[in-house]
Amino acid sequence: MLEPLWGWPPPVLDPAGPYAEKVTVLAWALFAMGLLVTGVVIVALWVAIKGPPWIKSKLGGEKVVWIGGVAFPAVVLTILLVWGLTLTASLTQGITGKETRIRVTGEMWWFRVQYLGPNGEVILNDANEIHLPVGEPVVLELRSADVIHSFWVPHLSGKKDMIPGRKLFLRVQADKAGRYGGVCAEYCGGPHALMGFVAVAHERAAWEGWLAERHAAQAAAPAGPAMPGRRIFLESGCGACHRVAGTEANGLIGPDLTHVGSRLTLGAGILPNNHGTLMGWIGDSQSIKPGNRMPSYSMLPAEKLDAIADWLGRQK
Amino acid sequence: MPMRDRSKLPLRPVAPVWAMMAGLALLSACKQPPASRIDADAAAAARGLSAMETVGCGACHEIPGLDWPKGRTAPSLVGFDDIGPIAGQLANTPANLAAFVRNAPAAKPGSLMPAMPLSESEARDVAAYLYRIDDD
Amino acid sequence: MKSETGFDHALYDLFPVREPRPEGEVEELNRIWAAPRGWGLMTVVNNNYIGFFYVAAAFLFFLLAGILALGMRIQLAAPLQEFLPQGTYNQFFTMHGTIMMFLFAVPAVEAIGILLLPQMLAARDLPFPRLSAYAFWAYLVGGLFFFASLFVGLAPDGGWFMYPPLTSITYSPGINTDFWLLGIGFIEISAIAGAVEIIVGVLRTRAPGMTLDRMPMFAWAMLVFAVMIVIAFPSVILGTLLLEIERAFNWPFFDPTRGGDPLLWQHLFWFFGHPEVYIIFLPAAGLMSMMVATVARTPLVGYRLNVLALVATGFISFGVWAHHMFATDMPRVSAGYFSAASMAVSLPAGIQVFCWIATLASGKIRWSTPALFVVGSIVLFTMGGLTGVMLGMVPFNWQVHDTYFIVAHLHYVLLGGMVFPMFAAFYYWNGMTSRNPLSERLGKWVFWLMFTGLNVTFLPMHLTGFMGMPRRVYTYLPDRGLDVLNLTSTVGAFILAAGIALFLIDLARNFRFTTEHDAGNIYGGGTLEWLPTGLYSTRSIPLVRSREPLWDDPRMCEDVAEGRYFLPNSATGLRETIITSPVNAEPQYLQLMPGPSPFPVAAAIFTAFFFLSLTIQAYSFAVFSGIVATLCVLRWLWETDRPIHITEAEIGGGITIPIAITGPTSHGWWALNTMMAVIGMIALMGLFSHLYLYGIHPEVWIAPPGLAQTAGIAGVLALAFLSALASRRVLAGHDAGTFPGQGPWLLTVLGAGLLAGALYWDVTGWQAAGLSPAASGQGATVFALLAFQGCLVAVAIIMAGYLGYRSGRGLLTPPANVTLDVVVRFIGFASLQGAVISLLPRIFPGG
Repeated sequence: MLEPLWGWPPPVLDPAGPYAEKVTVLAWALFAMGLLVTGVVIVALWVAIKGPPWIKSKLGGEKVVWIGGVAFPAVVLTILLVWGLTLTASLTQGITGKETRIRVTGEMWWFRVQYLGPNGEVILNDANEIHLPVGEPVVLELRSADVIHSFWVPHLSGKKDMIPGRKLFLRVQADKAGRYGGVCAEYCGGPHALMGFVAVAHERAAWEGWLAERHAAQAAAPAGPAMPGRRIFLESGCGACHRVAGTEANGLIGPDLTHVGSRLTLGAGILPNNHGTLMGWIGDSQSIKPGNRMPSYSMLPAEKLDAIADWLGRQK
Repeated sequence: MPMRDRSKLPLRPVAPVWAMMAGLALLSACKQPPASRIDADAAAAARGLSAMETVGCGACHEIPGLDWPKGRTAPSLVGFDDIGPIAGQLANTPANLAAFVRNAPAAKPGSLMPAMPLSESEARDVAAYLYRIDDD
Repeated sequence: MKSETGFDHALYDLFPVREPRPEGEVEELNRIWAAPRGWGLMTVVNNNYIGFFYVAAAFLFFLLAGILALGMRIQLAAPLQEFLPQGTYNQFFTMHGTIMMFLFAVPAVEAIGILLLPQMLAARDLPFPRLSAYAFWAYLVGGLFFFASLFVGLAPDGGWFMYPPLTSITYSPGINTDFWLLGIGFIEISAIAGAVEIIVGVLRTRAPGMTLDRMPMFAWAMLVFAVMIVIAFPSVILGTLLLEIERAFNWPFFDPTRGGDPLLWQHLFWFFGHPEVYIIFLPAAGLMSMMVATVARTPLVGYRLNVLALVATGFISFGVWAHHMFATDMPRVSAGYFSAASMAVSLPAGIQVFCWIATLASGKIRWSTPALFVVGSIVLFTMGGLTGVMLGMVPFNWQVHDTYFIVAHLHYVLLGGMVFPMFAAFYYWNGMTSRNPLSERLGKWVFWLMFTGLNVTFLPMHLTGFMGMPRRVYTYLPDRGLDVLNLTSTVGAFILAAGIALFLIDLARNFRFTTEHDAGNIYGGGTLEWLPTGLYSTRSIPLVRSREPLWDDPRMCEDVAEGRYFLPNSATGLRETIITSPVNAEPQYLQLMPGPSPFPVAAAIFTAFFFLSLTIQAYSFAVFSGIVATLCVLRWLWETDRPIHITEAEIGGGITIPIAITGPTSHGWWALNTMMAVIGMIALMGLFSHLYLYGIHPEVWIAPPGLAQTAGIAGVLALAFLSALASRRVLAGHDAGTFPGQGPWLLTVLGAGLLAGALYWDVTGWQAAGLSPAASGQGATVFALLAFQGCLVAVAIIMAGYLGYRSGRGLLTPPANVTLDVVVRFIGFASLQGAVISLLPRIFPGG
């Protein structure tokens, strides 16, 4: 089953890291302000219409406009503005360059994820899943391969757009290990509604282990070298778009499938990952996520789908 | 490829419409499903639903009780309690159904449905769940 | 009071005049202002008709876009619904936003202005009735074509904001996007035309004595509205032109691989797009201020504060556009500035809200349907305004930007700030255009259904946004707690729709269009639109001594109807109105007004065909339509600058004023100035784009052509300017009644020719320097600026030819002629603007 990683309780009010948390405090304060002012206006309206004459006569002059329409908002807005600007400044602190750096590229309609080494070199290719160590800021380098997308993990921080021709940076930090849902927040055409991903926060040691495991898998031959699924995968031309390290499949158009078996989701955060969904996605991804860039391989007979899914499922 | 072709129609009969039509048919004919079907064990059915979630049957079928995915490649299983022969050919018995969901190509040569990684007992549970579908 | 024009204010004491007027004057007015009948009604230009058609058409688009919204709400009622397929849903939300913003909201307020302003100002009509007619027909025909694109699956699907590169030819290869650009093209035309009309109308056709300080609040709001259109719309006009050019000719304005930038579009779009919200809201606020006073039965508290608030909103709204772009990573200083400005703009809104509350407190409310809508609007607008303040906080904005929280916010603001006041106005001013009043009983139901529906629909959306639901999604996955909230919103949408359906029933039962036997002043308003009127507006044009003259002078209605004020008849036997001075509204001269004509409507239809056939790539028909449209415009102008045989007229009380003058005091001068401001703003935004791209991608820039050539071009343009000036000098040198010879118009031809020559030199110069439009952002913007100058040159050539034709027909009368004046000033303007467009890219940045 697909874990509902956002929804109730509202992640904006249920932060999992310091950046989101600061905004949560602000959000509650803004609510309070909103309720208060709405209340003041409704009460003033009520009194203006139904109140006794002595209050009405006090309300019915320009003095009220100066107090209610100028002085009061000016004070409230100034306080808010100072708070907002201070917070903005603290949330956009400079990047030291020592943080873990992950490049996330928005593509129609999935997220390419690349883990960067100390010199900015790509050390691991992945898709639709971002693994971070807990308790430290991680710098995401946001790019776009086609149109404008927007990267948003509401539990961790506000959103930032992914803009063609630009490289934007977003710091995120999770203080609790766990899984957090993310979405593309900028309309990017077609199945924009079905473009998500998962952020997974691990304790530092577990995160390093996770990374090392993947490095080992990259170096070793792919799982099940003799399985028929591998042959069928390559014969069906899947390698034109997908890469599986250690095979001739080295396409760069679609998500890297070297570790597809260990992913939490398929189809960019929208399907649970298991044998059946793998088969269903390969066989007819268009009926699940209409308009996505992967054609439906409906010509593949059942046995071949089964074999491919079986083999892919082992690519952990 | 009759099964796949359905997914290419621009307007597919939507599940509730099917259910309603089935319901109307029942009202008029007062047809009762065979006792063996509705009496399927509730615990087994619950296990069956979770097995279906685990192996991802929903990627191709719409299945009552499974919110997502609701694939459209293969026939919807809404109103499954009212269907005739399995896949149009096999007698509609629990044993046949269990065998079919586990390894469709073996049960019905030429089937477009792949074999699923289900144990024999899981397959029986799945069949139990499918028989308990009651959309009337 | 000090006189503005030398008009003696003591003359005002003559009014109301006591002597009875001769018989037959009203009959003559009726004859002169009579509307054509049958199919001839298509050629009508009077604001009573055009304004009503305009309001009706805008309301039609409101209903159509509302139906699209219902479709969307059904689709989202439950997760993974299949009511609308993905592609259709994307078209629906794009069309809903586009139609509501462009084809409903802006035209609706403009339409209400055209319908109400002449009566509120007691003018016979707006100063350019044919322009109104043209704007209306272009809007109606174009809008209907645009909507019809939905039925053939060609409706745009890139969102109402049309962000490239999603809308570039690469990612939107179909003509859907072109349909969006087409639809917007019409509203750009009609908005600009309306702005010219309204600025001149409000400043120059007010009743004598109606100083700026006595103007109805709606007139103030419309004045600010129109000025804002002049400043804001050029930005979107330029943006749509650039996007269409990029799609059609591959010039890379927004393509980062060749030195363009997708954010350039966002700057251009939001520099228009945010003021747009206030463009919609301010007129509605003006209506509110007037209705609040009437329902509270007391003058508005804080009139001047309110005016200040309107003007301040206009100013500040041009400094907030980038708050739509906080997530695009702007420098901290900019984010701080835009955040502060976004907060500041809520101050004038607060002033208005408290002015209304204070007015309600100082009077005694009489409950009626408009009163309900007015009070409801205050509550809803306050709520929407407060979420707006929240969104101005940058860190908060980063969280909720592009979620359903925004959907909730903008609907509270727009429904509360514009739609509710509009419904209040429908009830309140219905008495001006309908025989029967609308039903108060049904009206209360309409209000409560709409008010409830709105809150049930949009209140939950604040929460769905917080839960993480992004906007513009055609479906959502189950199990996330979104199901119940979305179903609630859908139910609410249908309650809201039920309210509007009930309003339609009320209209069907009670609304009967009329221009004369109207239901009248049902709610007891105190402003001039409630004077007894016919198609000619009021029989005599009253002297205004206060802000609510009908409350302060109970005899005014009778005095006006008996012709005891200005212009109780037709002084010339033609349609006419009094032009007054802009500040104190002192009578200056009598403007002759054009009557019904088939040419504005024909020009509008062929303008529509022109754009439509461009969109569907039927180029030969486009050329044909373009030529016919131009000829129709010229033919319509032909009649408007008639030689006059009498030069002065008596307007009552023995006061005489001149007829149809030229020069800086004439209304035509003001209109041309407004048009030139629009054109200049487009060029300015073009220059901004040019410099912006230089700032982003200077690496693709090449060195400009040499300075000698640049100086040469400047010289040619200076000559063009001088020859235009000389043309007027030559005409002025002749005495009235003599033949001015061929000199004047030939000089304008020379000027236009020099403009063309300078442009040719400019283009070839850049080409020789190695610049090509498709190669880089520099090439694209330079050639776009030159292409824009090319349009001006083409217009100048047509104008000069037209002037020559008029000269040949003996219509170029010395010593001053309006047509020549327009042509001369246009060529002069084109040479100045051409110099800026040409020099700036050549001198800076220097490669």
